Amino acid sequence: MDFSDILASSIHDIKNSLGLILSSVDELVNDPNNKIADVRQASLLQHEAQRANNNLIQLLTLYKIGNQQLAARVAEQNLEDFLDEVIANNSALCESLNIQLSSDCDPDLNGYFDADLIRSVLDSTIGNAHRYAKTEIQVNATEEDGYLVIRVEDDGGGFPDSLSGLLKNMAKQPQESQAPGRTQLGLFFATSIAELHQNNGKRGRIELKNGHRLPGGCFELWLP
Amino acid sequence: MANDFSDKSFLVVDDFPDMRSAIRHLLRSLGVSTLEQARDGQEAIAQLTRTSFDVILCDYNLGPGKDGQQVLEEARHRQLIGVNTIFIMITAENTREMVMSAIEYSPDSYLAKPFTKELLRTRLTKLFAAKANLAEVNKALIAKDYAAAISELDRLIAAKPKNLSELIRTKTDILLTAKRYEEAKKIFEDVLGARDLPWARLGLGKVYFWQKKYPLAQEVFEHIVGLDANMIAAYDWLAKTQTALKQFTAAEKTIQSAARLSPRGLPRQQLLGELALSNGNTHDAELAFGRAVALAKHSVLNHPSLFAGLAKSKSANGKHAEALKVVADIGKTFANGQEAELYAATATATVKKDQGDMEGAAAALKAAEESMQQMATTRHSSKVTLEMAKTYAQLGEQKKAEKLIHEAIANNHDEEELLMEVVQVCRDADLDYDAETAIREIQQAVVKTNNEGVRLIKQGQFEAAIQLLSGAADEMPGNKTINLNAAKAIIMKMESMGATADDITAVRHFIERVRDLDPNDWRLGDVISRLRQLATGAS
Repeated sequence: MDFSDILASSIHDIKNSLGLILSSVDELVNDPNNKIADVRQASLLQHEAQRANNNLIQLLTLYKIGNQQLAARVAEQNLEDFLDEVIANNSALCESLNIQLSSDCDPDLNGYFDADLIRSVLDSTIGNAHRYAKTEIQVNATEEDGYLVIRVEDDGGGFPDSLSGLLKNMAKQPQESQAPGRTQLGLFFATSIAELHQNNGKRGRIELKNGHRLPGGCFELWLP
Repeated sequence: MANDFSDKSFLVVDDFPDMRSAIRHLLRSLGVSTLEQARDGQEAIAQLTRTSFDVILCDYNLGPGKDGQQVLEEARHRQLIGVNTIFIMITAENTREMVMSAIEYSPDSYLAKPFTKELLRTRLTKLFAAKANLAEVNKALIAKDYAAAISELDRLIAAKPKNLSELIRTKTDILLTAKRYEEAKKIFEDVLGARDLPWARLGLGKVYFWQKKYPLAQEVFEHIVGLDANMIAAYDWLAKTQTALKQFTAAEKTIQSAARLSPRGLPRQQLLGELALSNGNTHDAELAFGRAVALAKHSVLNHPSLFAGLAKSKSANGKHAEALKVVADIGKTFANGQEAELYAATATATVKKDQGDMEGAAAALKAAEESMQQMATTRHSSKVTLEMAKTYAQLGEQKKAEKLIHEAIANNHDEEELLMEVVQVCRDADLDYDAETAIREIQQAVVKTNNEGVRLIKQGQFEAAIQLLSGAADEMPGNKTINLNAAKAIIMKMESMGATADDITAVRHFIERVRDLDPNDWRLGDVISRLRQLATGAS
C-alpha cells in the first residue's frame, strides 16, 4: 500500500465523519425548538462543512481518475429534472445565506452525461459561487454548437482576469496555475470530469467568463 | 400535498447506527411515519419476507454478510419485492464502480452519499411519479401480457413526454422479452441514427444474437467494447456470441476481462470457471470457481454446482484431498437436497477417477444415479441432466451419456443457450455423438409435428390436431414449446366450439408442466389469459 492509498482511505473516513456532522447541523438548523443565538453562525458552519466535504469528494474522485479506476457512466438525462435535483440539493444552504438560487432550461432539453460526476462539479461550483454572489445564483442549460452547455452564474464581482486565461493549459498541470488553492482544486476537478465526457471525437471542457446572463462570474461546462 | 410521503412505508438498511438515525431523521422531516430499519442484509431480507414496503433505502456496504446488491438480488429473485417497490441503492464514491457495474439486477435509483433532505424529496417525488406513470405497463408485465404492455407504452410515447427515451428503452426491453426482434431492431436503428448510444447498440447486438446472426452480433459487441472498455454487458454478450461461434478460447478471454472489471458478479465467475475448465486452463478455473464459491456464500444464487466446479478444478490441478474437502462442504452448505447430493456424487466420481480409484468412482456414480432417480419423480433440470451426462462420459459409460444428451436436446430443442452447452459437453467429453446432427433432426421432427397440427386446426379438425400435439407433449413432457402448443390447440378448439370443463382441465395440465419447468416462461401470460377468458365464459 503506498502513501496515496493511505491518504485516500483516510480521506474517505474523514468524509464520512463530515457527512454525519453535516446531517446533525442540518437537523439543528431546521429544528425550530433549538434556540441558536446567531442563526448565521450555524449556516456558516454548514456552509464550510459542505465545502470541506465537496473538496474531499473531489480529491477522492481525482485519485480514482489518476488510478484509471473511474470512467464516466454516460446516460441520457433530462436537464430540467437534473437541475431540479441540483437546486434541491443546494437550496437550504442558499436560503440560509440569503442568496436566491434558481434554474432555467427548456423542459425538453436532454443531455448525455454521468449524472453523479456532473452533479458533484455543479455542487462545488455553486458552493464556490456562494462566496461571491450578492443576491443571486442561476444554473442554466442550453444546447450550443452541438454541445450541452451548463452554466453557473452569479451576480458578484466576477472572476479575476488571471483565471480566464488560465484554463487553456491547466488541465494537465494544475500546479502551474496562479489561482488560490481551493479554486485550483475545484477547476482541476471540473476539467478532469469534463474531459471524461467524449462523443464523436469531441471532448468536454470548461470555460470561465464574466457577465453572461448575470453580471458576475459565469462558469461554463461544455459537454459533447 | 404533492411531497407528502406520510402514506408510504419505508425500510432503511445500513450497518452504521449513526447513518441509520441520520436517514431516519431525514425521512421523518419529510413526513414519513411508517419506517422500519435493518442493520444488515439478513435483517433486511427478514423484514421484506414479513412486510412489503413502498421504498427501500439500502446502503451498498453493509459490513460482513450480504452487501446491498445481494439484498436486491435476493429480494427480486425470491419476489419479495415487486415492480412497484422503489429500491434505492445508497453508494459512496468507493463503492460506485462496484454498484454500477452490477448489471443483472439494478435498483430503481442510486443515491450518492452525502445527500440532503431536499435532494431525497425531489428524487422520491420523481420516482413515485414515474411508477404511477408506468402503473398500467407494470400491471401488464406482471400478467406477462406483453402486447398490452407495449400498446400502453405506445400510448405514453405518443404524448412525447420528457422521459420519452426512457419509455422507448423500456419498450425495446419488452419487445426483446416477447421475442419481437424485428420491431426492436427498427427502434434500435432509429435511435442509433441520431446518436451512438451504447444501450441501443447493445440491443442491436442482442437482436442479431437471438436471430442467430452471430458474426454480425460479434461485430457489434466488439465495436462497443472498443468504444467503451468499461461496458461489462457488452463483454458478457460478446462471450456468449463467441461461444455460439465455438470460439471457446476467445470467449474465455472475453469473460476474463469482464470478470476483472466487475469481479463481484457471481454468474460471470461461474461461466469463467466452466469455460476455463473445459478449455483445460485448470489453474484459472480453480481461481474463478474459488471466487464464485466465496461470492455465493451470502447469495441467494448459491448452488452446489459451484462447489462441484471448484472440486473438479482442484482435482484437475492434482489437489485431490482439497477437492474432496470442497465436496464435503456441499453437504454442510446445502442441507438435504437431492440436487446437492447429486453434485457431491458427480464431483466425487471425477476426483476419484483422477486419483485412479476406479472403484470409488463407480460407487460415486451409482450414488449420483440414485439421486437422479429420486429427483425424476419431481423433476430435474436440464443442467442436472447434462452434469450427469458429463460424468457418465468421463467414466466411459458412453451409451448412458448419449441417452441423457438426447433427452436434454428433446426437452430443449429451441433453447439456444442450452443447446450450445450440449455441444460443448460433447466436445469436452470426447463423445462419439454428433450432437449437432441430433439437434437438427429433433428440431425438424418438432417443426413437422407442429406444422401438421396447425394444418389440422386450419381445416377444423381440432380433435386430430389435439391428439397429435398432446401425444407429442406426453412423449416430451420436459419440452415447454411442445406442451404449450398442445395447450394452444385445445384453447383454439374451445375458442371456436365453446369451452368444456374437461378441456379446461387438460389445458391446465399442460400449463402446470410448463410452469414447473420455468415459471417465468414468456409465453405463459398469453395462454393463461386466453384460458381465463374461456373459463369465465363457461361458468
